[in-house]
Amino acid sequence: MDSNIASYVLQDAGIFIEAALVLYLAWSSQWKRQGAVAFYLTSLLVAQLTRACVLHEFGLASLRYYYVYWSTDFLLVISAFLAVCLFFRRVCLREEKKWRLIRFLLVFLSVLVVVISGLSLSLNLNDFFTYFIIAFNQNLYFTCLVLNTLLYLLLQYIDSTDDQLGLLVCGVGFQFAGPTATLALLHLTAGVRFAQSLTFSVMPLCTFGMLLLWGYAIVHVKDEATQVSPA
Amino acid sequence: MILAALILTISTAMFFFYFQVACQKILGRQFNGGYFQSIVNANRLEFPSLRKSLEEFGAPVDYPRLRMMLKCDFLALTYLLKNAANVNRRYSNEEWLLILYFRWQFLSLAVRRLLKVGEKKAILRLISVLQYFANVVGQRVNKVRFGNLSAADYLLNL
Repeated sequence: MDSNIASYVLQDAGIFIEAALVLYLAWSSQWKRQGAVAFYLTSLLVAQLTRACVLHEFGLASLRYYYVYWSTDFLLVISAFLAVCLFFRRVCLREEKKWRLIRFLLVFLSVLVVVISGLSLSLNLNDFFTYFIIAFNQNLYFTCLVLNTLLYLLLQYIDSTDDQLGLLVCGVGFQFAGPTATLALLHLTAGVRFAQSLTFSVMPLCTFGMLLLWGYAIVHVKDEATQVSPA
Repeated sequence: MILAALILTISTAMFFFYFQVACQKILGRQFNGGYFQSIVNANRLEFPSLRKSLEEFGAPVDYPRLRMMLKCDFLALTYLLKNAANVNRRYSNEEWLLILYFRWQFLSLAVRRLLKVGEKKAILRLISVLQYFANVVGQRVNKVRFGNLSAADYLLNL
């Protein structure tokens, strides 16, 4: 019961911070420059609000909330993947050749994840939705985590001066690593109660951590474009 | 099954890796002027002398005393972060993360001591967090003007 309350508090705090950051981006005219951040924050906000409404209407133990939670989670992980793609685009803004190669890799990886998940799901048609959550979401979270790490390594390799992007990438790493680990644990332990509770606790905590870091990066750290032409 | 175990291991390692990197990036922030020195002098903090003895002399440090020194400096600085020239009287986003980082590194110091590996690195990381906190407090106090009061005088009145 206590962990549920803590989870709700974190979720509500998360909604507040997401709304504040979205408003800040709009107010400071950074909406276009921070396209990836704005896109993912908006997706998060919509998903969290939907979950909050369904939770309020039907309760935690309801099947509807269960389906809505994991369906929105699926949409969020797709948004996260697209956000990472946009971060790659930001890094390769002046290098079209590199971007073309990376774009091919990203498309290939997304197709690979769909195929691998499709194969796992086809073997478990009797419990499609549950397996869909654990297999597909876990695989895509892990793919996003690997891509995000490659992005971080790319930033180190090209010796990027974009400190803000570095922090944004770290935030995304937080967001993916925690849920990926807990979903894998859920899979390994065949969904025992402890693993389920841990999953429900860790996910909002990691999102909260990401929002704190993004808040600091957007508000206090200048991006490369601002550093080059402060006017 | 094996794939899930591999994903679990790698993801957990990545989680701690990103946490470490994020905190190091925040700690890399430059401050214009040595704000932390006035805070160290006003509060008789011990982390600069500890860093000096580790970096320059490589001197062995009495471990229980070391932990006490770091803990006392941490408690003093976290109090000042919340109460010194802080209108909101609460920690900011990055301060929360660094407080968590400090606690994690403090815990890992005990483990490193047992395994006798990377102790000096952990101590220097802890000291860098304390210096960051001192710089933040010093910068805030420096912005606030209380007549002819220096930073030390202001802090003594808290």
